[in-house]
Amino acid sequence: MTGMAEIDTTPIGRSAASPSGRSSRSRRRNPNLRFWTVPSFATPSLVLYVGLVFLPLVLAVGYSVTDKNLLAAHTHFVGVGNYQSLLHDGVFKQSLRVSAIMAVLIVVLPNALGLGVALMLSGEGRIYAVMRTVFFVPMVLAAVVVSFIWQAMLTDDGVLNSVLRTLGLGSLQQGWLDTPNHAIGAVAAVVTWQFLGFCAVIYLASLKAIPTELIEAAQVDGCTGFRRFRRITWPLVAPAVTINTVLLFITAFKLFDYVKVITNGGPGGATNTLALNIYTVGYTQNDFGLASAEAVVLFAIVASVSSLAVILLRRRETTA
Amino acid sequence: MIAPFWRSRLRLLFALAMTGIFAGPLYLALVNVFKPADSIRAHPLALPTDFTTKNVVDAAHLSLVQTGLKTSLIITTCTVLLMVPLAAMVAYYISRWDTKVARGLLLFFLLGLMLPPQIVLIPTTVILRHLHLMFTYWGVILNFAAYFLPFGVFVFSGFLRTISRELDEAGAIDGASSFKVFWRIIFPLMRPATASVVIVTALWTWNDFLAPLIILGAASGVTITTGIYIAIGTYSVNYGQEFGVMFLASLPILAFFLLLQRHFVSGLTGGATKG
Repeated sequence: MTGMAEIDTTPIGRSAASPSGRSSRSRRRNPNLRFWTVPSFATPSLVLYVGLVFLPLVLAVGYSVTDKNLLAAHTHFVGVGNYQSLLHDGVFKQSLRVSAIMAVLIVVLPNALGLGVALMLSGEGRIYAVMRTVFFVPMVLAAVVVSFIWQAMLTDDGVLNSVLRTLGLGSLQQGWLDTPNHAIGAVAAVVTWQFLGFCAVIYLASLKAIPTELIEAAQVDGCTGFRRFRRITWPLVAPAVTINTVLLFITAFKLFDYVKVITNGGPGGATNTLALNIYTVGYTQNDFGLASAEAVVLFAIVASVSSLAVILLRRRETTA
Repeated sequence: MIAPFWRSRLRLLFALAMTGIFAGPLYLALVNVFKPADSIRAHPLALPTDFTTKNVVDAAHLSLVQTGLKTSLIITTCTVLLMVPLAAMVAYYISRWDTKVARGLLLFFLLGLMLPPQIVLIPTTVILRHLHLMFTYWGVILNFAAYFLPFGVFVFSGFLRTISRELDEAGAIDGASSFKVFWRIIFPLMRPATASVVIVTALWTWNDFLAPLIILGAASGVTITTGIYIAIGTYSVNYGQEFGVMFLASLPILAFFLLLQRHFVSGLTGGATKG
């Protein structure tokens, strides 16, 4: 990456592919890959991948049109029956709503705060490097561990309330996990805390790629502060926005560990995400058919919204 | 206008304050490991004046933690050892055998990158049951290796584009078989990519909760994540032990992270940003 034109138009995801990938197509095939080598290099992976990823995907779609139940001896074809019953399933509809709210919170919060943190920590020197490490640490901890740490903070007699008491802000004490709104906010805050450093690192990488001549030129022209951010920094970090948005969206819809540990879906289903509901329907009610139908809905949402996001944000990248 | 010197000082102070607030929960998780249970409740934020290692020792004696650490170590190691060579080999085939089939194969593998685990897990349990692998280590290992394979293929096939084909051809002219060319010449050159794939796969496997919860089941052993969940969630160990357990569960991965920090960051973010 040298010129600004390149940064402007090349999405991060494409940059590595450039010269050799295309031109090599016209080249002759590798002479030492003889016919028999093909199966030996590709077969083991294919067997594993088809057997435990692709076949399950096909089967999930298949189960979703049956009444497959672990406890029942026979399985019957029910057509779109499961999908029809989902339309009237209050628990499912609530879980869909919960996941949608989570998706909005989790896409917006770590994205916005992550950009702020990246700008804040983009300084030179050892101390900034240490701070960047601190922000990245939660990313390597298990979601289960992070959830228990936060649970210790958020329970009624937890750390957050006792800190508020000590600071003389006792009136702000809350049952952080007791009311639906607080519980959703609390879970979103925990996820934000864990993914903030990751988003910041993605932003830092794209901030670093902004050529200094560009910043200097802007300075000479008297473009500083917020305007410089709006006109130069923001358009150039657009690919990073794309990446973070798609990853956070998928994370939000897969949300399981946090809600299982912190709230177990409560209070009153307020944090019962789609992913958690699939688990409950599949493994406590043993209703594989219905759970598979919900999983197909989940997959359809994740696949379509993330491809849509990529298309829309890519367009913004190039027109900005 | 503030002088630049003071501006950079102010900025540093602000960054330090924000980092301090952010690190609050980490500080909390760390100091309380070394305090007796009752002083955790009374003064959760205080430094451990009555320093004790009792929590860690107690946690280390819990059978759930012992089995959990052992199981997680076995499953993580086997998943990495199985998945990495398979992914590297198929990526090599895809990038060198440059045909329509190979490009289709790459897309087929990349489809797996956007599958939520929930959609494949239910049928996977049915398949594993037929193979008599349900509730076994191998069931979990095969599931992880298959599910993380697309990530490996993605990173390796991207990296292979940067390795010149002349090397393969030179090897072939010298009469080396394609296995030899791959393992002796190409695979060693892929070390940066291998480091990323190993680290990220190990991290995801070690930290995963859903798959071991379902495939391994509580009866036939626990990984460290399901172990913590059962220990804290079900048996409600005391507060001190809870922090001890979380400390032991995170120590291996944290040590690994602090040693190989650069690789961790480039692996986790690189997997997301480039191929």
